Amino acid sequence: MNCHVMNMVCLSQRSQAKFRIILPILILIAVELVHPTMSCKNEKCSQLLHRSLKLTRLMSKRSADLLETYKASQGDSADLICDMQMDNVPVSTISGQTMSERILSVYTHLKEFLPHMKTVMEQQKDLNPPINPVVEGLHSMITHVHHIAQRVNCILQILQPNIPIPEPAERSTGIPPAQNIFQQKAYGCIVLSRLQELLSQAVQEQKSLKGKMCKQRTKNGSL
Amino acid sequence: MGSSHHLLVFLMFLHYAVGFTYNCVKILPDSSSSIVVEVGKNFTATCHLLEGCAYTSDDIEWRLGNLSIAKQSYHRINETAVSVTINISSDMSDWLKCTAPKESLSYKPRSIYGIFLRAGYPPLKPKNLSCIAVQEDKDISPNLNCSWDPGSRNPLIDTTYTVYANVLGTVLTHKADCKQHLARFCIVNLETFPIHMVLKVWVEVKNALGSERSELQNDSSYFAKPNPPLNVQVLTEDKFPTSLVVTWKHPIDRTILKLSYAIRYRKVTSNVWIEVPESFTRGYIESFRLQSLEPYTQYVVQMRCIGESNSSYWSNWSPSVTERTTEAKPASAPDLWRIIRPTSNSRNVTLIWKAPVKANGKIRFYNLSINQNNEKFESHNITADNLSQMYSMELPAGKMASIEITAYNSAGESPKATLSIPRSDKELPGVKDMSWSVRDEKLQVKWTAVLPLPHPLKLSEYLLEWVKIPQSVHQKELPAGWQRVPKNVTVTTLNAGLEKFKRYNISVYPIYKYQPGHVWHFQPGRPVTRPAYVQQGPPKEGPTVTVTKSKKNSAELTWEETPLDSHQGFIIHYTIFYAIGNTKQWKSETVGPNVHSYVLTDLASETDYVVYVMASTEAGSVKGTDCTFKTMKYGDGEVEVIVVVVCLSFLFLTVFIIMICLRKREVIKKLLWPQVPDPSDSSIAHWSPDFPIKADLPKEDVSVVEVDVFDGKSLCEEDKGVLPLKKDKYLSEEHSSGIGGSSCMSSPRHSVSDSDEGDSGQTTSSTVQYSTVLGSGYKGQTPSHQPPAFARSESTQPLLDCEEHPDHLNESQSRSSYFRRGRELEPGVLAPECDGGSLTFCPVQEEEPSPVAEEPPASALCYMPQKSGYRPQ
Repeated sequence: MNCHVMNMVCLSQRSQAKFRIILPILILIAVELVHPTMSCKNEKCSQLLHRSLKLTRLMSKRSADLLETYKASQGDSADLICDMQMDNVPVSTISGQTMSERILSVYTHLKEFLPHMKTVMEQQKDLNPPINPVVEGLHSMITHVHHIAQRVNCILQILQPNIPIPEPAERSTGIPPAQNIFQQKAYGCIVLSRLQELLSQAVQEQKSLKGKMCKQRTKNGSL
Repeated sequence: MGSSHHLLVFLMFLHYAVGFTYNCVKILPDSSSSIVVEVGKNFTATCHLLEGCAYTSDDIEWRLGNLSIAKQSYHRINETAVSVTINISSDMSDWLKCTAPKESLSYKPRSIYGIFLRAGYPPLKPKNLSCIAVQEDKDISPNLNCSWDPGSRNPLIDTTYTVYANVLGTVLTHKADCKQHLARFCIVNLETFPIHMVLKVWVEVKNALGSERSELQNDSSYFAKPNPPLNVQVLTEDKFPTSLVVTWKHPIDRTILKLSYAIRYRKVTSNVWIEVPESFTRGYIESFRLQSLEPYTQYVVQMRCIGESNSSYWSNWSPSVTERTTEAKPASAPDLWRIIRPTSNSRNVTLIWKAPVKANGKIRFYNLSINQNNEKFESHNITADNLSQMYSMELPAGKMASIEITAYNSAGESPKATLSIPRSDKELPGVKDMSWSVRDEKLQVKWTAVLPLPHPLKLSEYLLEWVKIPQSVHQKELPAGWQRVPKNVTVTTLNAGLEKFKRYNISVYPIYKYQPGHVWHFQPGRPVTRPAYVQQGPPKEGPTVTVTKSKKNSAELTWEETPLDSHQGFIIHYTIFYAIGNTKQWKSETVGPNVHSYVLTDLASETDYVVYVMASTEAGSVKGTDCTFKTMKYGDGEVEVIVVVVCLSFLFLTVFIIMICLRKREVIKKLLWPQVPDPSDSSIAHWSPDFPIKADLPKEDVSVVEVDVFDGKSLCEEDKGVLPLKKDKYLSEEHSSGIGGSSCMSSPRHSVSDSDEGDSGQTTSSTVQYSTVLGSGYKGQTPSHQPPAFARSESTQPLLDCEEHPDHLNESQSRSSYFRRGRELEPGVLAPECDGGSLTFCPVQEEEPSPVAEEPPASALCYMPQKSGYRPQ
C-alpha cells in the first residue's frame, strides 16, 4: 500500500520536473520560429552598430566604384543614359521622423533595391559576357546589401524590440517590364546611382545612432 | 518449333533448380545490404524456422564466415527460433549464417540463410577546426579553406565529412562535401566573402553508426588572412647611425580589415630575430623607426600584419629587406701589440694592431704616434688595409718608447690605444709558469698569476700571443696573433684558428698599467714562451743520413735536422736502422731528439751496409732516405804500418845499391863512359901554332873546338856546361855576345847595340841573328894583336848570299857543323851564321887583319849582302 502511494508520488514529481525542462525549450523554439533568420543576439549593441556602419561604409564606397565600372562598360553614352528618368526604380530618400523610422526606411529601401539589383545583374549577363567586372561587382554587392539589411534589421530590433519589423512586399515597387538595350543600360545606371545614394544616407543614419542607441540599451541593462 | 522446345526444357531445369534451393530458415534482423555493427558491442540475431520446415530449433547452427559459433552463444527462444549473440570485433566483417543441416538419406536440401555484417566505429568528433580565407587582390577570397583533425581511428565503414558555412542572419548555407577518406580539409565556396558579418562554420562527419559535428562561429574577419604589408622599405638617415626607418603600404583597405603590424629585425650575422613590441605598432600606421641599433651594421627587416585586436589570422612575413645603418665614430680603441726582436745593438720593434672591435664603420686610416724617451719621435697616418696593419722601427736598447694609435672612419676618431716599450733592462716581471694542453682541438693555456707589483703598477690583464714557427714568408701577413684575457683569469682557450701540424710559440704576457698623468699607460711584462701544437702528426719527411767515417768495424753517421715545418710535431726520438746489404735483417738504435750523429759499432769489415734514420713524433714515424756504405778492409794504422815497412825496405835497398856503385865505380865508369882521347895532347895542337895570339888564347877554347871536331857534334848539344864558360870569356873581353850567346842565352838587344843602333825598332821574334867575328878594327882601325871579336846582327834580311848560292850554304853547313845549335835555329837561318862563323872562327882566317869589314867582297861573304841589300847606309 505504502509502496503504491510512494510510487504515485514519485511519478507525479518526475513528470513535473520533465515539464519544467521541456517548457522553456518549447518557448525557445516558438521564439526562434517567429524570427528564424534574424539572429542578432550574438553581438553586443556597440559591436553590431560598429560592424554595420563599417560594412555600409565599405559598400557605399564600392557602389561608387561599381557605378564607375558600370559606366565605363556601357560605352560612350554612359552619361546620357544615367540622366534618364525612370519611375519604377525605388527612390533613395530616407523618410521618417524618429530614429527608428529612419532606420526602418533604410531597411525597407535596402530590401526594395535587392530585386532591382538582381534584375540589372541578369540584364548585364545578357548584354556582356557572363563573367565581367560589373556582374561580379553586382553579385558581390547583392550579397553585401543583403548583409547590411540584416544588420539594420538587428539595429531595428534593438531600437524597437517589441514592434514587428514589416517586410517589404515582394516586387512592391515593380520590376520594369521588358526593355530594350538602351533602356536596360539606363535602368542599371539609375539603380546603381540610387543605391549609392541610399548607402551614403544609410551611413549617415547609422552614424547618427552612435552614442545614442547602445547608450540607451546599456542603461536599460539589457545589453 | 525447335526453339520453343528448347525454351521448355530450360524452364523445366530452372524449376528443378529452384525447387532444390528452397530455404526454410530466415535471420532477423535482415537487410538487403550489409548490416553495420559497432565494434565492441554485442550483436544479436535470431534464426527462424519458417512454417512447414521439417527442422527443429535443435538443428539450427550459426556460422560466422566459415567458422561455427560456439553453442554457448545460442539462445533457444522457442521450437522454431534460436538467437545468437556475438561480441563484434573489427575483423568480423563477414557473413553470419544460419544453417539447418541436411538429414541423412533425405532428399531435402540443406537450408541456409545469411546476413552480411560490416564492423565499424562511429565517427570521432573532428578536433581543431579552423578555416582560412586568404586575401586575393584587394578583397578576401570567398573560398574558405577548413581543416581539422579527424582523429587517428579508422571507422572501417564509409564515413562522410561535410563542411557547412552560414552567415548568421541569412538563410543561405554553403556546403562542401569532402571526398577524401578520413578527410582533413575541405574548401567551401561562399561565393562572396562576408565582411563584418558573423560567420558560422561547422564540419559534420557521418556514417551508419552515428554522426559528430564541430563548429566555429566568429566575426568573418577572424577567418581572413591578409597579405603581408606591401612595399616594405628600410631607409637610413645620415645623422642617425643607430636607427632605421621602416615604411610600408596597407595590403587591404581598412574598411574591409583594419590591420595592425608587427616588425622584426636581426643582424645579418645573427639568426635571432628581435620583434618590436606590438604595442609600438598597434596603430594603423605606415612607418616605424627602429632605434637603438648598432652603427654600420646590416639589418634584415621583415613585417607582417593582423586584423586589429588580433581579429584575423597573421599574414605571412614579408620578404626580407636588408639595410645597413650609417657610420658612427669608432666606439673602442684599436688593439695594439708589438713584437720585439733584439739585434746587435738595438731592437727591431714591429707594431701590429687590429681594428677596433666597435669600429662603427669602415676604418679609413690609423694615426700612429711614437714617442721615444718622452719626446715625440715620429707620427704616421697609415691607410687602413687589413694586409698591412703593421709598422716596424728600430728602438735602441737604452731607450723607452710610448706608442699611441687612433683609428679613423668617416664619422670620426676612435679612443686612443697606448702601449709602452721599456728599456731593455727595465722589463717588468712575467708570469712564473705556463703550460698548455689540447682540449676539443683547441689549445688551452694555463699559467700562474703574477705577484702584485708595488704602486703605481697594477696588473691590467694578460695577453696571450701565438707565433707560427717558422714564420710565414708572406710579408703582409700579421706575424703574430694575440688574445687578451682579464686579469683574474689564469686558464683560457685560444680562440685562434691554429693550424694542425704547425708549431706555434705560445707566450703569456702580463700587461701592467700605470697612470703617470691623466692617461693610462700599458706595459707588457716579460713573456713566458712554450712551443705547442694543436695537433701533432707524423713528420712529413725523414732525415737524410750520411756516413762521415767508415772504418773496419764501425761507421759514423750524421744527419741533418729536417726543416721545422716538416716536423709536424715534437720529435721524441730518432731510430737508426741498419742492415747488411739486402739481408733485410735490420738492427736499430734509438737516440734522443737532439742527437744528430751516431757511431755504429760491431760492423763486419769490408761489408756493404744499408742504413736509414727514422724520425718519430707522438703521432707517428717517418723513415728517411737509405744510405749505403761499405766498411773498410783494414783498420786504423794497418795501412800505415805496411807503407812504412815497404818504404824502409826500399830505402835499405837503395843504400845498398849506392854502396855497391861506389865500390865498383871504376868498372861502371869504364862501362858507361869509354876512354876519349884528349885533344890537347893531339898532334894537331902542335901543328898550327903560327897565329901570334895563339899563346894568349885560353887553352880551353881551342880544346873545346877540337873536341867538337872530333865528336862531330854541335857545341850546344854536347856540352852545355862548357859553353857558358866560353861565352863569359868572350863577353868580358869583347863586350859582345858570342855566337853561342846570341843563339842560346845572350840578349839580342845587346847585339844590336853593337852592330847597328838603328835597328832598335825591330822585334826580337822576327829577327834572324847574324853573328860574325870581327877580325879587324872598327872602320879602318887595325887592332894589334886583338883577339877575334864577335858581332851579331838582328837583321831579318834574308841572307842573299845563301839564297843565291844554296850550294855555298850546304857547303858551309857541312864545313862549320861544329857551331850548329840544334835547338835554336832553323837550318835555313843557320846557314849564314855558319858561313860567317866558319870564317871568323877559323883560326887561319883570324890571322887576317880587319879588311874584312871595309872590303866586304873580299873578306866577308855573308856580311856584305846584308850591308848592300838589306839596309843601305
